[in-house]
Amino acid sequence: MIALLFISLLIPAATALLLMLFRTSLNQSSARWVACCGSIAALLFSVLLLVQYRVQVVDPFGSGVMPVASSVDPASAIQPRVEYRQPWLKTGERMQLEMYFGLDGISVTMIALTTLLTVCSVLISWEAIQDRASEFYAAVLILETGLIGVFCAFDLVLFYVFFEMTLIPLFFMIAIWGGPERKWAAIKFFLYTLAGSLVTLSGLIYVVVHTSHEGLTNPTSLPALSAWLATHPLPESMQMTLFLAVAAGFLIKVPVFPFHTWLPLAHVEAPTAGSVLLAGVLLKLGSYGFLRICLPLFPAACLELGLPIIGLLSVIGIIYGSLCALAQRDIKKLVAYSSVAHLGFCMLGLFALNTEGITGSVLQMINHGLSTGALFIIVGMIYERYHTRMMDDLGGLASKLPMIACSMVFISMSSIGLPGLNGFIGEFLSLAGMFKANPLYGVLGTTGVVLGAWYLLTAVQRVFFGTLKEPHHAGHDAVEITDMNPREFLALAPLIVMCLWIGVRPAGLIAIIEPDIKAVAGLFENQDDSPTEAFVQNTTNILNHNAQISIP
Amino acid sequence: MSEDLQQIVLWLIPAAPLVAAIVTAVLGPKLLRYKSHLPCWSALAVSFVCSLILLLKILPSVEQAAPPEEVGVAISQTATGPQVIASGFEWFNVGSLHANIELRADSITAIMLTMVTGVSLLVAMFGSGYMSHDPGYPRFFAAVSLFVFSMCMLVLSGSFILLFVFWEAVGLCSYLLIGFWFQKPSAAAAAKKAFVVNRIGDFGLIMGIFLIWKHFGSLDFVTVLGNAARIAEVDAQNPGVIQLICFCLFLGAMGKSAQFPLQVWLPDAMEGPTPVSALIHAATMVTAGVYLVARCTPLFVMAPHAQMAVSGIGAATAAIAALIALTQTDLKRVLAYSTVSQLGFMFMALGCGAASAELVTPAVTAGMFHLFTHAFFKALLFLAAGSVMHAMGDVIDMRRFSGLKHALPITHWTFLVGAAALAGVPLLAGFWSKDDILAVLQEASRSETHGLYFGVIRVIAIGAAFLTAFYTFRAYFMTFWGPEKFPEEAGHHPHEVTPIMAWPLRTLAVCAAGIGLLVGPTHLFGDYLQKTMGLTPEHEHHLHWGVMLMSSIIAVAGIGFAWMFYVASPTIPAAIARTMKPFYVISQGKFFLDEIFMGLIVFPLLGIAKLATLVDKYFIDGIVDTVGKVPKALSIIPRQLHGGVVSSYASVMWVGVVTAVVLVLTMF
Repeated sequence: MIALLFISLLIPAATALLLMLFRTSLNQSSARWVACCGSIAALLFSVLLLVQYRVQVVDPFGSGVMPVASSVDPASAIQPRVEYRQPWLKTGERMQLEMYFGLDGISVTMIALTTLLTVCSVLISWEAIQDRASEFYAAVLILETGLIGVFCAFDLVLFYVFFEMTLIPLFFMIAIWGGPERKWAAIKFFLYTLAGSLVTLSGLIYVVVHTSHEGLTNPTSLPALSAWLATHPLPESMQMTLFLAVAAGFLIKVPVFPFHTWLPLAHVEAPTAGSVLLAGVLLKLGSYGFLRICLPLFPAACLELGLPIIGLLSVIGIIYGSLCALAQRDIKKLVAYSSVAHLGFCMLGLFALNTEGITGSVLQMINHGLSTGALFIIVGMIYERYHTRMMDDLGGLASKLPMIACSMVFISMSSIGLPGLNGFIGEFLSLAGMFKANPLYGVLGTTGVVLGAWYLLTAVQRVFFGTLKEPHHAGHDAVEITDMNPREFLALAPLIVMCLWIGVRPAGLIAIIEPDIKAVAGLFENQDDSPTEAFVQNTTNILNHNAQISIP
Repeated sequence: MSEDLQQIVLWLIPAAPLVAAIVTAVLGPKLLRYKSHLPCWSALAVSFVCSLILLLKILPSVEQAAPPEEVGVAISQTATGPQVIASGFEWFNVGSLHANIELRADSITAIMLTMVTGVSLLVAMFGSGYMSHDPGYPRFFAAVSLFVFSMCMLVLSGSFILLFVFWEAVGLCSYLLIGFWFQKPSAAAAAKKAFVVNRIGDFGLIMGIFLIWKHFGSLDFVTVLGNAARIAEVDAQNPGVIQLICFCLFLGAMGKSAQFPLQVWLPDAMEGPTPVSALIHAATMVTAGVYLVARCTPLFVMAPHAQMAVSGIGAATAAIAALIALTQTDLKRVLAYSTVSQLGFMFMALGCGAASAELVTPAVTAGMFHLFTHAFFKALLFLAAGSVMHAMGDVIDMRRFSGLKHALPITHWTFLVGAAALAGVPLLAGFWSKDDILAVLQEASRSETHGLYFGVIRVIAIGAAFLTAFYTFRAYFMTFWGPEKFPEEAGHHPHEVTPIMAWPLRTLAVCAAGIGLLVGPTHLFGDYLQKTMGLTPEHEHHLHWGVMLMSSIIAVAGIGFAWMFYVASPTIPAAIARTMKPFYVISQGKFFLDEIFMGLIVFPLLGIAKLATLVDKYFIDGIVDTVGKVPKALSIIPRQLHGGVVSSYASVMWVGVVTAVVLVLTMF
């Protein structure tokens, strides 16, 4: 299984290398085919990985026992089920750095999401990227490599390296292939997120140095660190400081209100593929970082600071992001602000610090990737046809572009959390979790459900319904405006299918991610403090995390 | 009937329309085209037959098979009444939140299902004639099938979470069908408005669900509602929480059932095709709120304040909507306001349980009975209005046509039957159910604790009943009596309905005339309904002769006034409008509720939204940019030294060398 992981990681990197090496000899058409093949291959392997993980790891004997990788301490809140470790650097007598790749349910799903959205990005850039295509697709694939890397890195050095590696290709994508304000947007995006992650880095270095002084031999390994901190907790005041330091980079990356201002700018200027990957996966690095690093390493600080403060910021983000979205006239900016609101739900669930909330949060990461990715693709389709994103210039497109309109209505419904589609499950579980942890935040967060319907349906109404209104320079270059073509259909259809599938049958997905979530949530939840649970007749099979079984 | 067969029948009810929806959506545009009604028709017929089997065969047999409950023991245990459960698959199961796809049918479900599938079938038949030249023909039937699927699932849900899922799903179908003619800006706006206003109610429903989950640890109807002792225990542990849950659930019901002040979306929803108005916005979906409150009776029993709010809001809605309906000139809007008003009547009845515990079951029965009869006569009225619209070239303003009774005889007769049933003419459907509501209110007003409150509500109800008779016949006389007049859109010879549209009208007319008499005074309806979980069967029945007499007089008086005003001396309305101008303007302007809504909620929120973007741009982002300038500002002095001008480097170097030389020299 680890071989499959490396193949999915290396295919995009190798393809990117190929594209860069032959960038002078590849024209636009051949470059995109190379990129397409590379990204599809990566998708296939990651899907294979997911299937194999589902078959071999998730309950392989139907016994309710979940194997963990052999070297992992069962006390750890992070439990890669499959791992690959290679000693890397030895510094001093006691400290050993190692290359630690691993996989658990959350990483496997996030990797599949990444590869899927990359294929969509390549397909949607087919005509839109005319010059320096080879370099563009190389950037897309390097970005994919970095994203996959983050999701399978289980040590802090690798994590941070991949985390920062994602910045560079996206910086170039915005700066070279972006809109009129692209330079400013790229610089702002780069510096803002970099500044945040440097603070994160300093916090992480402190943790590593501190624990290494205390006697931990492999302080960069996340499972080891988390297990060690479970028995030797940091002093509370130190946890608080470190939590805030580490959170800084993630708060900006998510982004949580009020650190979000780089996002609308970056989205508006980025090419469609950039927006899809930025919203779809890159932002999740922030919430993923919280889940992987802050929750397991600083549990006390999460309870003390995370729940009240980040919970509050998320609630503000939901309402504020929705209101900002409501006032936008640029549809891409509207979608960008809706991301702020949706990630507010994600963070709200995460910092509910219970199984319901965290599960909702992880689902929301996936769902937001699918639906917002699809929304950006649709906005891109409209922009490609009319060269405008201003809602005032458009109207009644449904009569001219029925397929795009249908997709837009469908995706909007998924995004505003209509039950039966994917968005609902994530939102509902996040809100339920928060309602359990802090009812006030839960109630306030739920108002976002009303506002969400309002701004998105307003956008749908203004762009697609009413009398047909096209910008007058539309037919300028004598290209007839047509409905979705097969290539665009291929880019959008998988996302639509996934939205429906997750909405109707989420149980399969939840089965993959749940054990890992329970491991983290176990830090915060007292197993027998809920008297109401005893009343529930519907018993669930409780997974025994202490079981150690090596994978056959 | 074997258990497997029962489950198959149960699954077929929602599955058939779902399959039809998928088939129509996939094959409709290219293959089926103007035959797209066929999957829908056949599916609805299957559903209807299965619902009848459920109603007449399965549930009675389940009841007989169940062992008789021992008196006295049942109180502490879960008492469900006859029910059939068909389990599907696990939807999600996270932490202590469990959601399974599972159907549960009991008496109230069976009644709702029969009504829903029966009315839908008739409406779908009418719709195939009404929509026959519309390019969106397949889309129409796909959406209608999807709606019937969702509505069936809504009433078949065995848990709050599943109910919520299909609560939203019917909202989606409503959105799609109101916005069916999306090229019309007004239709697009109405669709959005309906969805968003409904979401306000949904907010309440979600809150209610969270509270139930938190305090009961389950969302299952049987677990939560079936055990009165458990509810009492929760109430004792957390005083007031049941009240809160009930208020939250009722907020949800207010959104879906268009109760004041959330009724603003329903009149606008008339932008949709008329069969849709008949099906969704009169007979079925809008009654989901009533169903929810009736379903949650065991909770509401513990929450008298919430019950009083239900009655109070219902009364306010009934009165306001009836007053608005008096002056509207759009035939469909008159009917829409009438729907709002009648839903208010149902809620008025539902809340009467607050007066005394014995009144709970009659109150719920009266509300549900009105829901049942209303579905038939209101669907009939809408379809008849649709056929008027069809003949008049889509003109629906009553000032532009009149005297249609000779041109459209079938429409005329069926509309008359519907109007008479709605007005409460003795022996017709509406008479019996409205009579039940008034009787329950009369009982409630005799209560010692809340007698005055319900007394006031009773007076409002009587007034609203009078207004109902008046405005219904105002619409009737304005449309069908007087000099014959057609708008130019209609051409010179308006066409009477085709047979495919006439037969549903006739069938509904028969129902509107007879169904009340058939199941009301015979107590078939009440006895059947009262087997639902949470209701206690009544054993004594009596007819309320006094109330019946009074309501007959009211109905006749209302009709009489309408005749006097609009047939005998048509100058009176204008004179009244002149003398009572302020009232006329308020009624005509729909109490300016839309404007108030816009002024108090929409515009302030849009203003805040605009403000938020400005804050975002200039304040939050301003801070970020300022912070970004700090390194540059810090570098102002050092930067002077690195200006790249060779002469300045040289002069600085010269100064440095001199200083160094001087230092070195002084040191030695």
